[in-house]
Amino acid sequence: MTQTQRNSLMAMLADVAEAARLWHVWLRLGTWDVRRRYTRTSLGIAWIFLHLTIQLAAVGFIYTILLGQEIQAFIPVLATGLIIWGYLTSSIVEGGNALITSEGYIKQIGLPIHIYVFRAFVSITIVMLMSSLVYVAVALLLRIPFGWGTLWVLPGLILLGVVSILLIFTFAHLTPRFRDIGQLASSAMQVLFYLTPVIWPADILEKRGLSIVYEVNPLFHLLEILRRPLLHAQSADVVDYAFVLGLVALLAASAITVTWRFHRKVIYFL
Amino acid sequence: MPSIQVERVVVEFTVDAVSLNSLRSFLYRRKAQKQPTARIVRALNDVSFSVGSGERLGVIGPNGAGKTTLLKALAGIYTPQQGIVTVNGHVCPLFEFATGFEMNGSGWDNIRTRSLLLGMAPREIEAKIDEIGEFSQLGQFLDIPVRCYSSGMLLRLAFATSTAVDPQILLLDEVMAAGDEAFIERARRRMNGMMERADIVIFASHSLTLLPTFCSRTIWIDRGRILMDGPTEDVIGHYRQAVAASLAR
Repeated sequence: MTQTQRNSLMAMLADVAEAARLWHVWLRLGTWDVRRRYTRTSLGIAWIFLHLTIQLAAVGFIYTILLGQEIQAFIPVLATGLIIWGYLTSSIVEGGNALITSEGYIKQIGLPIHIYVFRAFVSITIVMLMSSLVYVAVALLLRIPFGWGTLWVLPGLILLGVVSILLIFTFAHLTPRFRDIGQLASSAMQVLFYLTPVIWPADILEKRGLSIVYEVNPLFHLLEILRRPLLHAQSADVVDYAFVLGLVALLAASAITVTWRFHRKVIYFL
Repeated sequence: MPSIQVERVVVEFTVDAVSLNSLRSFLYRRKAQKQPTARIVRALNDVSFSVGSGERLGVIGPNGAGKTTLLKALAGIYTPQQGIVTVNGHVCPLFEFATGFEMNGSGWDNIRTRSLLLGMAPREIEAKIDEIGEFSQLGQFLDIPVRCYSSGMLLRLAFATSTAVDPQILLLDEVMAAGDEAFIERARRRMNGMMERADIVIFASHSLTLLPTFCSRTIWIDRGRILMDGPTEDVIGHYRQAVAASLAR
């Protein structure tokens, strides 16, 4: 039985659970989105790898010369940084448009709208996982050591995925109502991009005694919980996980609040 | 047992939603400054009725009366600002066939996607997909991307798929016109079959000849209000009189 006017927290969670149960719907829509983006290009899905490789080669080359980085150590840092950052940016920008681009479906078919949130999560995550293959190639090429400690990458990936889906839930419900949010958020991400050791190594600041800049930045710690297992085959520090869990808690609170407040109203803003 | 209950439902659209309640006006809200009042359209105004198992309910009214909004509220697409909509049973909305294609997907791909969205289980889809393809009469075109289809072909594909569903509660919004002459006749038969399979049918239509053949009961709405709710013949009789009166004026 469905009663459309109740909007308790439980009703919202029941809607999300119902949407999750329809996994074969959003999994199909999400994989189609990835295919659609690259059909009729002659290189197809290879573009995912190519984008990253070009970026990696360009930034790697320039920074090696300008900053005197040792290329052997720098390229893996850069690759992980670009992949993770790309994933977060897509979660905010594409995720913010998740409901707007699904308007046609939403207005014709009475399925819980959260399936379109999961749909965006699927397509964004597939692209991220595929571009990760570039990192695997880099790691093999540069003979980065791996061992049991590398397995710490799994909890890291799960936490990253959780951050992504919480971002998508928040921005997907917020953006249709406040259309400026999308622009605002992508500018904010740009600023954060320069503030966070994504394409420059953290020790540059450390040497100048400015390590506080990244130490209080939860995004740095999010990068760390993936970089440490991948680059050094060991777990990140407890403080890194603590920061990331704090970030997850914060994002969860915002995702639940925003979804609860807007999920029944968002149709009127599409 | 499937049933629908609608109690004192109000659905409103705020015309200037985005501009009036934008981030800017949200941030710069000053008490002294008078907020312009938003223009609000009341699409459904205090609507109540209930439908029991086995009923076929017709909905008539002029354009803009609120027929589609009513069906969309029943489908759970619009959440009413006031009132309660209670629906028991699986709802299958058939509103229009023009949206929801994966343009680069083949006809078969599109049959699968649409069936999933309409609530068919993957196993059910595989069992029915041949029959759907056959009904569409698109033959080998089903293997090519639908972006190469004409609009008539797209319509056939969507119609064939949508009418393969076994709905408990079927919400129909004026979708009978589909394709060329030969197809229309087959489409009509298939639609009849679907309406017979459904437990509850709510059918919004402008066709005063079609409605009595399907629906024993009809509601007449205008400007978001129910003007009449009763046996189809009576309601249509009064509706005709009202239309004639407004023409004579």
